[in-house]
Amino acid sequence: MKTIDLSRRGFLKVGAATTAAAAAAPTVLEAMEVEVGGKDFGPVTKAERKAIPITCHVCNIQDGALAFVENGRVVKLEGNPEHVSTRGRLCAKGNAGMWYSYDPDRILYPLKRAGKRGEGKWKRITWDEALAEIAKKLDAALQEDPNSIMLKYGRNRSGGAIDRFMQTLGSATVVNHTSVCESSKKVGMEPTWGPDIETPDFANTKYILNFGSNIMEAAYFHNPYSQRLTEGMADNKAKLVTFDVRLSNTAGRSDEWIPVFPGTDGAVALAIGHVILREDLQDSDFIETWTNVTVAELKNHYKQYTPEWASKLSGVPVATIERIAREFAQTKPATTYTYRGPAKHLYGSYNEKACMMLPIMTGNIEVRGGYCLPRGMSWPQPQPAPPKPAKPSYLAHPDEYPLAAHKVSHLVPFWIAEGKQKINVYFTYQDNPVYTNPGSDAVWGKLFRDEKLIPFLVSMSPFMGEETALADIILPDCPYLERWEPESMPNSLWPWLGIRQPVIKPLGESRENRIILRDIIHALDKDGSRGMKKYWEFKDGEEYMRHHFDNVPGLKEAGGLEFLKKHGVYPIYGKLDPKSGQVVDKTGRPIQPEFGLHKKQLSSEDMTGAAVDAKGIITKNGKAIGVQRNGKNYVGFPTGNRLVNVRVDEWADFGFNPMPTFKQIPWHKEMKDDELILTTYKINVHKQSRTAAVKWLAEIMHSNPVWINSATGRKLGVKTGDLVRVESKVGYLVTKAYVFEGIHPRVVAIPTAFGHWAYGRLASGARAKLRSEKAGSWGANDDPDLKNVWWDDKGVHPNNIIPVVADPIGGSQGWYDTVVQVKKAGPSDKYGDSVGYWDKHVDAFKETMRYAYTGDKHREMHPEMSSWKGPGSVKKKEGGH
Amino acid sequence: MTEKLTSSSETRGVQGKKRYAMVIDLRRCIGCDACMVACKAEFDVPVGVFRTWVPYRVTGTYPNVKKHFLPRLCNHCDDPPCVRACPVGATYKEEDGGFVLQRYERCIGCKACMASCPYNARFMLPDNRTYTEVTNVVDKCTFCYHRVTEGLAPACVQTCIGRARIFGDLNDPNSEVAQLVATQPVQVLRPEEGTKPNVFYIGADRNLTEHGRAVYDTPEVLEEDRKNFTDAG
Amino acid sequence: MADFNIFHHMPWEPTYAIYFFVIGISAALFFFSALSWFNDAFLSLRHRAFYASFVLLVIGGLLLIGDLSQPMRFINILNPFYLNFASPLAWGGLNLVSFGLVSVLYYLAMSTQSPHAKVLGIIGSLLALGLPVYTGFDLTVHQNRPVWNTPLMPVLFVAMSIVSGAAVATFLALGEERLQGVLRAIILWSAGAVAVMLVSLLGTTAYGGVGQELTFMLMTSGMLGLIFLGLGIAVGLAAPIALLLVLGRNATGTMAASVLLLIGGMALRYSILIGGQLVQTYF
Ligand SMILES: Nc1nc2c(c(=O)[nH]1)N[C@H]1C(S)=C(S)[C@@H](COP(=O)(O)OP(=O)(O)OC[C@H]3O[C@@H](n4cnc5c(=O)[nH]c(N)nc54)[C@H](O)[C@@H]3O)O[C@H]1N2
Ligand SMILES: Nc1nc2c(c(=O)[nH]1)N[C@H]1C(S)=C(S)[C@@H](COP(=O)(O)OP(=O)(O)OC[C@H]3O[C@@H](n4cnc5c(=O)[nH]c(N)nc54)[C@H](O)[C@@H]3O)O[C@H]1N2
Ligand code: SF4
Ligand code: SF4
Ligand code: SF4
Ligand code: SF4
Ligand code: SF4
Ligand SMILES: [Mo]
Repeated sequence: MKTIDLSRRGFLKVGAATTAAAAAAPTVLEAMEVEVGGKDFGPVTKAERKAIPITCHVCNIQDGALAFVENGRVVKLEGNPEHVSTRGRLCAKGNAGMWYSYDPDRILYPLKRAGKRGEGKWKRITWDEALAEIAKKLDAALQEDPNSIMLKYGRNRSGGAIDRFMQTLGSATVVNHTSVCESSKKVGMEPTWGPDIETPDFANTKYILNFGSNIMEAAYFHNPYSQRLTEGMADNKAKLVTFDVRLSNTAGRSDEWIPVFPGTDGAVALAIGHVILREDLQDSDFIETWTNVTVAELKNHYKQYTPEWASKLSGVPVATIERIAREFAQTKPATTYTYRGPAKHLYGSYNEKACMMLPIMTGNIEVRGGYCLPRGMSWPQPQPAPPKPAKPSYLAHPDEYPLAAHKVSHLVPFWIAEGKQKINVYFTYQDNPVYTNPGSDAVWGKLFRDEKLIPFLVSMSPFMGEETALADIILPDCPYLERWEPESMPNSLWPWLGIRQPVIKPLGESRENRIILRDIIHALDKDGSRGMKKYWEFKDGEEYMRHHFDNVPGLKEAGGLEFLKKHGVYPIYGKLDPKSGQVVDKTGRPIQPEFGLHKKQLSSEDMTGAAVDAKGIITKNGKAIGVQRNGKNYVGFPTGNRLVNVRVDEWADFGFNPMPTFKQIPWHKEMKDDELILTTYKINVHKQSRTAAVKWLAEIMHSNPVWINSATGRKLGVKTGDLVRVESKVGYLVTKAYVFEGIHPRVVAIPTAFGHWAYGRLASGARAKLRSEKAGSWGANDDPDLKNVWWDDKGVHPNNIIPVVADPIGGSQGWYDTVVQVKKAGPSDKYGDSVGYWDKHVDAFKETMRYAYTGDKHREMHPEMSSWKGPGSVKKKEGGH
Repeated sequence: MTEKLTSSSETRGVQGKKRYAMVIDLRRCIGCDACMVACKAEFDVPVGVFRTWVPYRVTGTYPNVKKHFLPRLCNHCDDPPCVRACPVGATYKEEDGGFVLQRYERCIGCKACMASCPYNARFMLPDNRTYTEVTNVVDKCTFCYHRVTEGLAPACVQTCIGRARIFGDLNDPNSEVAQLVATQPVQVLRPEEGTKPNVFYIGADRNLTEHGRAVYDTPEVLEEDRKNFTDAG
Repeated sequence: MADFNIFHHMPWEPTYAIYFFVIGISAALFFFSALSWFNDAFLSLRHRAFYASFVLLVIGGLLLIGDLSQPMRFINILNPFYLNFASPLAWGGLNLVSFGLVSVLYYLAMSTQSPHAKVLGIIGSLLALGLPVYTGFDLTVHQNRPVWNTPLMPVLFVAMSIVSGAAVATFLALGEERLQGVLRAIILWSAGAVAVMLVSLLGTTAYGGVGQELTFMLMTSGMLGLIFLGLGIAVGLAAPIALLLVLGRNATGTMAASVLLLIGGMALRYSILIGGQLVQTYF
């Protein structure tokens, strides 16, 4: 999902020349006398355990890690001490990663469905049988239309192999999961300043305004950012202010938790901006130099967003808005941070944009302690590479959402059901929409069970997830400790490259993903006559990896893949100081990142043949390459015009407001007194659908009662422990209540990661199922420790009752917009009931498409755009996004 | 250390001996529970028992609400009642370093040490473990003796995301723990028990670290779980 | 999700209370047997009480060993290289084993009409006294435990041992009016002592620190309250004392009271054992 897109972030490419700039003064205390990491010993055997560097993939943050092996078994994981982002630490989930490999309910050989879809009956088959059958289906599909072969992935860390596979087949029907993730945040940011995420310098900042990000438990990037955040707060005395609808761990550990009415962060941010501009606290120099608006324009535009207006919408007192505005503008350096809280609403892109305006107007961009551009590195692909598919695919780029650069995956089932595009073969890879998407089983379960809509469903997965349980063929993929993969993540201010390498051989008959893909192509194009095989000529994962790493400048000289196999990460910036937990240079002082990337100057070579226009934009070969300011030629920001686009003209083309704005969710306006808003969220020890079977994590948390504010509880007559029925317009569920002070009175909250009905015995049935069903149904070894499981609860999953909502700009799911009623459970309600209705989900789908730029509600929502000429006025772009 | 020695087993301030201690800076603890899982992995700790755990409490009234975490583990007491209680010397104190440790092969499983520990730091190992053969005896946090004696930090300290856990030799005036204990307002848990704990907290609020009313007025949503747990024992 | 997310077991489970009960009766019965060498009233109990004592000792010993997670290692407690004399359990183990040995010798002496029987009876009685003392001590030494950590515990256990032992003895003394009368007096005095000590115990518990206060609340409410106050104090102590006082030397009355006292004796040991551990499972 967060693959480093070089074309967009190209200028951030960093080679061997990456410098660790000036060192800071040494800190006071002496070192902890003990080393912090890199080695481990068996407590019983006393023998040193073998350490192999890898990249963690229990969640999608990709922290550098070490795997320790004793007697051929991965027994311990720890952060890679040579990794500048992770600095030797892993989170709770990362520490439990070996259980992905040793899950007793893991699938270790290919399976073919024996009964009806989803009936749970399987036949063990050989790889050759599985591949032959898949090749047969692909062959038939290719005759009809390559785009009828669909692949949808959730996590894709293949470093290009998945795209290569689909391009080899000539299909453009590749869909990711990003629209259920954070896509409106990305789309809110990208047209404005280029990248899809910010990298705040938490360690050196003095003030943090956090809008709806749960950094201390989740977020991009929980582990590395929490480290810097505690450093900033404890050592640098930074103030953390968190806007959230509930008391996340982050909110609970913040200097101030400011509860907001759901979906109104944008209004609050605009009002903070209003106060800053009204009181002339902005950084005029930055605005005039680096953005596409003037201070005067900005002041004029922000006049409408008064604190009184925002207070009415959000419930945040006027005085608080004014105080926060002054604190934020007058404390330097300061930064904001956002994640899914503001973005996962109907107009999430507007919310995100409004939030990011704050560091922009205060000039906190790319400064020490401020709001910085992400840093990443990239790698080349093996050659030759297959060409791009010939025809675009509707499902990959639906016409109604032209600005949704990260797709609109959660509407796909409805479009398939509507017949928008025919699917013959569907591959699912590291994606569990039947559990993780809005509507979950009621929508995706229904789609996958329908053999007319999805005639052939292949899952590449080590686990019997809810999606895999509905497949026709299961190919046993390897969990992360058994795979080769290239990695890079902008999870600190230092760019890096890393690898994942097999710590142990693939267990059973499992094969790592790139090998599976190769084997499918080889089965389809046995003799190479179809011209597909030539893109897949490598003998193993390691050889594929050499293509990526043996030619990266800098790394090549250091030893290429061999260097990475030994160190796990490149470059090595310094050594981990046991005392401070920081990476330090040779003199023992913490290494410092570079700031001001946009102020890098273009070389004279760059400038030859370039032209500079009246606004100072430097263009070469029809592309903007920089900005001229005060006689200097800067690279600027990675946008089309190398500026920060406060005004996004492309949005106006489709009738959206190009300037920072806020739209209240229309159905929130009409909420009755007894209606509440359902929020779902992530917790420190679980990872979406993937960790409920990990015993050490399930042990810490295995149930998810619905949070209700005390005052609301009194009103409803509900106490902690009571069974309640939570009903939305598309379904209802029955769960237990947890009534306390840590949540907005108009919000109820249910964490995700619980209430499985597949994914092995522990996840779907806890103690009862572990006792009644045997381990190793699909070839894995038992774990005797599971006999110690004492809990019966598995929680309740909320997604059945969450309707689809699509941000008409970003295409993102509005997870946090669901209106519900909460009542004490009735006599026929049972704990764990969770019911969603397909028809009602279809109604929600139709309703949400009315907000698309082509829909009838679009204009109604944008009276300020009355001069827009309507959908017909838009020129169709070629080739999607 | 100005504290006078009151029992022969004390190692704090003894010349030539190490006295390992942990400082947990609650201002830095984010409740991520990484320490809990790292410890589980390090020792193949079975499900149902913990050498370290991170309870939390929520205080205040909406909207002024806070969350507090309190990482817990064996205090490696300088005057450990568990060592005193063990009839067969299966739990003992390592003089150099002050680790309170178990001799698994000697333990008869009378649980006197569990009854005597004011901190619930000890537990009985069940029949089943993943790959370690030591079962059905009492176990507890070892302060990662096997790592520390190799010059490494304990596993929970190693992974601590907030860098809230700091480990070292209290008898070495230059160590980070010695300096923190000397210069910061530190607390220990249940000091009235006279155990002389060697896990020090910065920023612990006694109102929150001791028994609260919640014991009597238990939140029912956990009660069902608690009942399952107790029955399973 | 609520205040604390990790639970703890009570180290000592209810079976320990049965052990306390059984071993307490065994000790008292031995004492009554030995008393027969000094007081004729007890003559009829000499053998009977001893046999009962011995059977209960064996049961108690098995219970104790069975409660260890490593029963086969019980032998460790006799290993002089392992013994830790700071532990009341170490003393208790030695006490128990020597009591068993002396019991055997006492039996042999009795059956061979040896003059040593009397001396062995005295030694055995002292060791018997040691049993409730050490069990009480076993609880007392845990400074962190409400209810347990009072000087009363060993004395209370001795008194409870005498009450329960005497209650059992009333059945062994069936038909012997004089002996029953003596036993009635013993019961009244020792039960009175138990009652007085319980009052003090409740006082220090109710007005102790927060852990104690919570323990008091838990021991006087809910299920545990029913066992402690209801069975232990009302049914198992107050009622039989009243019965004995009201009915005087009435054999049926004494035996009815004895039944109640045995129920009470078990209930009190149970609730003291559990009460002292409950609060800390929440810490
Ligand atoms: N432990 C853990 N870490 C993870 C993951 C995981 O599953 N588990 N998943 C990873 C992934 S894929 C992602 S996308 C990130 C997500 O990371 P985050 O976005 O940080 O986490 P979420 O729980 O999705 O949502 C953040 C917060 O938004 C709040 N919220 C809801 N509505 C509103 C609102 O209207 N306004 C505001 N201000 N807040 C609101 C919720 O209460 C929640 O606390 O985490 C990543 N890290
Ligand atoms: N209610 C609610 N729903 C949510 C969210 C929320 O906050 N609230 N968060 C949303 C967010 S942010 C996201 S990103 C999505 C994530 O949703 P998904 O993309 O579905 O991702 P995961 O749950 O991480 O994992 C999907 C599947 O990958 C498979 N898998 C796990 N490990 C491996 C492996 O090693 N190899 C292979 N081949 N397969 C593997 C498993 O079958 C697993 O079920 O969920 C969304 N769903
Ligand atoms: S946050 Fe945790 S699970 Fe995710 S990559 Fe980092 S260590 Fe692994
Ligand atoms: S905390 Fe408990 S187990 Fe640890 S040394 Fe102290 S008394 Fe013993
Ligand atoms: S359980 Fe084992 S370690 Fe604990 S007191 Fe008994 S013998 Fe000693
Ligand atoms: S010191 Fe070692 S044994 Fe103790 S809690 Fe930490 S990791 Fe576990
Ligand atoms: S790892 Fe550190 S920050 Fe995380 S819960 Fe444990 S002590 Fe707190
Ligand atoms: Mo996500």
